[in-house]
Amino acid sequence: MSALDHGSPPAVQRLDDEPDERVVVSRKAMEIVTALLAMAFGAMIMIGAMEHNRGWGDRGPEPGYFPFWIGLIVIAGSVGVIAQAVFKRSNGEVFLNRGQLKRLAAFSLPMVAFVALSTQVGFYAATMAYLLFVMIVQGGYRIATALAVSVGTTLTFFLLFEIWLRVPLLKGPFEAFVGIH
Amino acid sequence: MENLGNLMHGFGIVLTAYHLSLMVVGVLFGILVGVLPGLGAPNGVTLLIPLTFSMEPVSAIILLASMYWGALFGGSTTSILFNIPGEPSSVATTFDGHPMAKQGRAAEALAYAFLSAAFGALFGVILITLLSGVAAKFAHQFSSPEYFAVYLLAFASFVGLGGASPFKTVVSAGIGFALAAIGMDTISGSLRLTWDIPELIKGVSFLVAVIGLFGVGELMATMEEKLEFRGIPARVSPRDVLAVIATMPRYWAVLLRSSLVGCWMGITPGGPTAASFMSYGLARRFSRRSANFGKGEPEGVIAPETADHAAGTCAMLPMLALGIPGSATAAVMMGGLMIWGLQPGPLLFVEHKTFVWGLIASMYVANVVAVILVLFTVPLFAAILRIPFAIIGPLIVVVSLVGAYTVSNSTFDLWLVLMFGVIGYIFKKLDYPIAPMVLAMIVGDKAEDAFRQSMIMSGGSLSTFWSNYLVGTLMTLALCLLAWPLISAVTGRFNINTPVKIANE
Repeated sequence: MSALDHGSPPAVQRLDDEPDERVVVSRKAMEIVTALLAMAFGAMIMIGAMEHNRGWGDRGPEPGYFPFWIGLIVIAGSVGVIAQAVFKRSNGEVFLNRGQLKRLAAFSLPMVAFVALSTQVGFYAATMAYLLFVMIVQGGYRIATALAVSVGTTLTFFLLFEIWLRVPLLKGPFEAFVGIH
Repeated sequence: MENLGNLMHGFGIVLTAYHLSLMVVGVLFGILVGVLPGLGAPNGVTLLIPLTFSMEPVSAIILLASMYWGALFGGSTTSILFNIPGEPSSVATTFDGHPMAKQGRAAEALAYAFLSAAFGALFGVILITLLSGVAAKFAHQFSSPEYFAVYLLAFASFVGLGGASPFKTVVSAGIGFALAAIGMDTISGSLRLTWDIPELIKGVSFLVAVIGLFGVGELMATMEEKLEFRGIPARVSPRDVLAVIATMPRYWAVLLRSSLVGCWMGITPGGPTAASFMSYGLARRFSRRSANFGKGEPEGVIAPETADHAAGTCAMLPMLALGIPGSATAAVMMGGLMIWGLQPGPLLFVEHKTFVWGLIASMYVANVVAVILVLFTVPLFAAILRIPFAIIGPLIVVVSLVGAYTVSNSTFDLWLVLMFGVIGYIFKKLDYPIAPMVLAMIVGDKAEDAFRQSMIMSGGSLSTFWSNYLVGTLMTLALCLLAWPLISAVTGRFNINTPVKIANE
């Protein structure tokens, strides 16, 4: 979402001490941006539907019929949302302020990194790395505590999924190295 | 009483060691999920569904339903002790529950909450038991036009009664239907809306969407506020419980009214969140001690809790009988049903008696199990919240993503979870209702099939939707509900039915 990521990614630090309430995005702007994105999605669906017959064939409505109308309904709804947002008297409501953005980024960026890492090195290694990072860098925990929690969690997952439920999770070179597959 | 015989049959299925232990596991997991903010009942159910693929449907639904009851109880625990609603539907419980706890009456508040919740749930189950026979009578009148009418009615009531902006409801549902259309078209077999991305051929799973929308999205919204857990320690002794039981009859009017509100909101898709707010509002208006509301009035705990559980329970009936889930959690359960190969609808009551009555009987038993477990485990679960959120938050992230991966072992789904997380976060902050989107993803294909088959049957004439009394009534009702926001806007009473801003449970 473009509206969310302007402003440089904040340096990760202990969650802020004084509230920073400078406005990043106003509610009204966000309402309109979201509705425009929904509109674009609706248009995408309509265009996608037009690759198929969208009329009435001898077997009733054809594959393109339903998505085409759904796309149109999404667009119509979004227009309504925009109209409501524009005509509503703005009371200065804030969607996101600086302090919130910082906390949001401090939570979300490691999460995205966790997913990226999982797809490369498997769940178990990524989980360990993720928890270690969050606890040491953001939580300010001692390394020993962080190690205990992250290894303990990873081990619990392993026992729960691979051994007990027999559901194999995503694995990578690390798991192969430890001899799990 | 044919229902009674069926119910006894159900108890026979439920009262086995295996099913009782499933209930205990489900309830405990549910309380945990309910206690943790950012991990709600819809999510809990979603995380369990992949684990039920190899179970008998009746065992699977017992597990999921028990989890749901547990989550409802867990949500009220944190509302009272921490002033943090673990579930959207327990927001109203904080109004008087937490003040009571601060006055040193935590045990009393918890006991009131749990016992009135149990009362509401029991009221709901009895109603379901009585009405199930009626559902079965319609079984053979249901064909494609009726199914389509019922689906339309479900979405129409979100628009008409949901409490959110009708435009936002339409957008949310529309996006859900569009996502459901992605992948193989069930009638012609052609691939739609895949944009040449191979991962989209199998479609977008609603399970992945729910984990993102309700789990990650909720977490992002939680994390952005500074969280402080200042809990009040509590232990509920048997004496507290007995003392509260002794005073319960005094509150019969609140209990009864709240149960009725809850059942109504559960059967129509108003959902437990709206039910608890409405019930709280009514209690405050009619109470002799209304000045005391917000300052620790037991009635202010009893009213939302009773309605919340009555609604949660009653939401199961339209889900089973019509395929219209009355809450987001029921919607996810219905998705589970379809995965297990069962088709919700009146025929279920005829062809899968074991499943239906096993579930209904389990609701009686599991609620008793849940009350007992929650009373004894309060200190334990309250202790979990003392673990800093810097650890709990990331742990929930890991659990959610692992859960999403187990749906179909696809790494693409992990990215989808993040995407849905962003959508859920924005929708939550802008008051878009999320339940219509989830429901649309679940019933999208069915609704489209029902519509197209009706058209095939009628040779393309829309009059088939008014061809008999049943379908005609359903369609007319749906259209009235769709037009409702328009009518009430014109008559200038738009806000009368919308005391709830947070109605997107």
